[in-house]
Amino acid sequence: MNDITGIVFDIQRGALHDGPGVRTTVFLKGCPLRCAWCHNPESQTFEPETGRSGRIYGRALTVTEVMAVVRRDARFYAASGGGLTISGGEPTAQYDFCSALLAAAHGEGIHTCLDTCGALDWPRLDALCAHVDVFLYDYKATAAGTHRALTGIEPGLPHANLRRLLAAGATVRLRCPLIPDANAAPDHLDAIAALGRDYPAMAIDLMPYHEIGAGKYDDLGRPRPALETRVPAAGETAAWLDTLHSAGAAQAALG
Amino acid sequence: MKTLTELNLEAALAAHDPLARERAITTAYRAHENASPAVRELAVLAVQFPAILEPIEEGDLFAGRIRYPLVSFGPEPGGLGYACRAEAIRYVVAGRGLDQEACAEAEEMIAYWETRATAARTRAAYPPALAAALPSDDWTRESGAGFPLYRMAGTVLDYRKLLQLGLSGLDAEIALRAAGASSAQRDFLDGLRAALGLAAASLRHYAAQARSLAADCGDPSHVAGLSTIAADCDAVSQRAPATFREALQLAWIYALLSGTWNYGRVDDWLGSFLVADLDAGRLDEEQATQLLCGWWRLMKAYDNQFNNRVFIGGRGRVNEAVADRFAMLAMEATRRTRLNQPQLSLRFHADQNPALMARALDVIGEGCTFPILYNDDVNIPAVARAFGVPEDEAVHYTPYGCGEYVLANRSVGTPNGVVNLLKCLELALRDGHDPVARRQAGPRTDDSSFACFEELWRAYAAQLEHLIAALARQEKIAYDVTGREAPFLFLSVLYDDCIARAKPLFAGGVRHLGGTLETYGNINTADALFAIERIVFQERAATLSQLIAALDGDFSGPDGEALRQRLLAVPKYGNDDDAADAMARRVHDHVCILTREQAARVGLDSYLVVVINNSANTLFGHTTAASADGRRHGQPLANANNPAPGADRGGVTAFLNSLVKIDPGLHAGAVQNMKFSRALFTRHRTKLEALLAGYWAAGGAQAMISVVSRDDLESALREPEKWGHLLVRVGGFSVRFIDLPSDIQLEVLGRTLHE
Ligand code: SF4
Repeated sequence: MNDITGIVFDIQRGALHDGPGVRTTVFLKGCPLRCAWCHNPESQTFEPETGRSGRIYGRALTVTEVMAVVRRDARFYAASGGGLTISGGEPTAQYDFCSALLAAAHGEGIHTCLDTCGALDWPRLDALCAHVDVFLYDYKATAAGTHRALTGIEPGLPHANLRRLLAAGATVRLRCPLIPDANAAPDHLDAIAALGRDYPAMAIDLMPYHEIGAGKYDDLGRPRPALETRVPAAGETAAWLDTLHSAGAAQAALG
Repeated sequence: MKTLTELNLEAALAAHDPLARERAITTAYRAHENASPAVRELAVLAVQFPAILEPIEEGDLFAGRIRYPLVSFGPEPGGLGYACRAEAIRYVVAGRGLDQEACAEAEEMIAYWETRATAARTRAAYPPALAAALPSDDWTRESGAGFPLYRMAGTVLDYRKLLQLGLSGLDAEIALRAAGASSAQRDFLDGLRAALGLAAASLRHYAAQARSLAADCGDPSHVAGLSTIAADCDAVSQRAPATFREALQLAWIYALLSGTWNYGRVDDWLGSFLVADLDAGRLDEEQATQLLCGWWRLMKAYDNQFNNRVFIGGRGRVNEAVADRFAMLAMEATRRTRLNQPQLSLRFHADQNPALMARALDVIGEGCTFPILYNDDVNIPAVARAFGVPEDEAVHYTPYGCGEYVLANRSVGTPNGVVNLLKCLELALRDGHDPVARRQAGPRTDDSSFACFEELWRAYAAQLEHLIAALARQEKIAYDVTGREAPFLFLSVLYDDCIARAKPLFAGGVRHLGGTLETYGNINTADALFAIERIVFQERAATLSQLIAALDGDFSGPDGEALRQRLLAVPKYGNDDDAADAMARRVHDHVCILTREQAARVGLDSYLVVVINNSANTLFGHTTAASADGRRHGQPLANANNPAPGADRGGVTAFLNSLVKIDPGLHAGAVQNMKFSRALFTRHRTKLEALLAGYWAAGGAQAMISVVSRDDLESALREPEKWGHLLVRVGGFSVRFIDLPSDIQLEVLGRTLHE
């Protein structure tokens, strides 16, 4: 089981913003979506790639190999309530590897977070719940057309899965990228607020769009995604937060 | 920021009668050249004090400023023992346009000291083989693997005893000891008593000065302050101190007279005076904090660089609760003054009042860089092991200056040698030839055609053995010569067991005669050796001669650059890579054990490596050729025990895990620098605490923590290769700063770093 191999494009140790406490974040390569704002284009394809710079994106590692790294920070997890975060890409796209890694971590008493957009069949997601302590769940767009245009997939499955997870009592931290002139529309804020009202225990992180650079697209020889947006002004960000708070989602905060 | 040496020169240049003090000290020495060391020292001290004590300045809360003339006596601030700064004297002669007669007189004085200055006598005492092994003293400019230093650094006095007994009580104790003493012993003990008399005279000098300043001063608020200084100085010239102010005044003057500038466990020796005043209502906490701020400013005027260690916290203090109250105010004074001095340092242990560490993190988080943190739970057993002393002695470990441990008022351990390990490897690769100095600098160890890595290692070890054996001899000779030259009366009064043994500090008086050796380039050497092992001996991607050619050419040309990239790609220390870290440990253990073994051979109680922070890593870098860790010619060596700049890209936990692999029980102090973003001290405080808790629990001994600043980001823009480890938060993501496009980097720079 633990000789299952996955394609990993980065392992960040001492990650402080990927869930509770001090964590090790393992980034799995491959994603069925194509978000227009994606900061990690190297995470989208499933196979290792070599950039024009010669930089290699992605290497094959077994669960055992990854756990050997993860285990090294056990004392920091214990001191902080941290643990392993699996991110991507869309980590559930390497389902068997992801699932085995989560189980292996739990087997050693290591807390787990799964950073997912929820675009997989419910039974498969449901099966992961046993070994996920916190879901970092991306909520990308509300209107179907917008969702399709910005991510390349229909919203039905991710939206339904979110409600199912919450109904099943999973701990979810909602991660909401807000892209001006793209998804940051009133209907989307309303929907986030509604989720916040329905599930007051669920944390909501707003992640205002920020240009991190298209260098990696160039290095990979891929066209930069056409996205008409801009970095929101501080006032705009504050207004989103206000809207959510006054609509009853008191837990919303900047991520 | 000027150093004391620069300030001393300025004062000499501006003196009313230039070189008058230098002449007077020279005359006093000359007149007593054949007298006993104690009598001779006293004669010089009597010229020096109170003459070189500078006037009280406006705003000073205590009396006590000093400038050393260019000929002086002391352990370190003006030079070693009897010191003459010839170049500076010539500079003053020229700068003041002195006439020919004065010029001739100055040259005569310089010539006189050429054979009599303590440093000169030390060098003259080297046997020929030692002189050949250590040909130069000019370590800041010349290329070389090791150099001697001339000083008696890092004495930490028994201020508790000073404050309990006062000058008069100390005098009575010495008088008692002198009763049954031999005449040689009495000569020394009488010298101690006379030195105490000079201390009293210096206090009276300041009392009189304060009174006359008060008389001439129109501002009533200043008059009150000056009158208090006068009363305090008068009081402690006659009796033991009764208040916090008096105690601090006495300790400060005594420190200046003795030429020490590290003060040990200040909360332990000053805390009871503070708390007595607070409890009696003579002072409130605000007033006490202001007094400490005033003292901090005087320390900065004394030494602006590497000293002024003030310790708070830790095991072994007489009354922890009392000392803790002082410690809290000391941190507040540091927070308020925001000076680079004193180097406030906090010792802590598992059972300590947690308020101290919490406050320390607040103060560090505000960007003060102090207090520096020392983990007693690791350090006390480590010091016991390294020094070979029981834990109840090790509990008094006190790092001074750049971080060398001494046992307060029990041991001396001056670092009188510097070694550049990377230069030793450079020599080993070239059969002892120094490619920068272009001369045969080390022993011939091999013809450089090493068949395996272990052969190369043996050649490196041989270079180091040769050098360290020489420096250990040198250290002992420095003690012997200094001990013969002068009893260092002010130091001997407050050092165990000088009075009981009736022996001067460096001539059999000190309980534990230790020595230390500053090593630099440790981590570069480990990374370079590891890269050579991988690339040359395992992967065989380049031959040793190809590698040496690339290093000699500073990686120029496409082949050189390609090889450099291969070398850079080999794992480096600081990323929790077991193989790379094992090499760092091997290099560390080797040099530490080698050094420790010299003690018995040369007659020291201990001789230990220190791995510290100062500018030596940069200066040695200038004279060190390109190295196999990918470092270019002239680039700085990695600081202390830290990963090479930018080499630790594996995340903070990996970095911390690497640090604790280096054994603290083999050396006398090592410095670990860490930088965290401001948000970790505020919004994510529990995560910072967890990182540190994990580090301490795993064996972390020390941490010097600073906050990532705007300056850091600007440096990262200029030299991205050194800042691979710097993460910033952008749009809800943590990203490597150097990976951001330049416009975004500027944007990040533009916003204040509050995350
Ligand atoms: S889901 Fe994440 S990894 Fe996948 S395309 Fe969107 S932003 Fe990129």
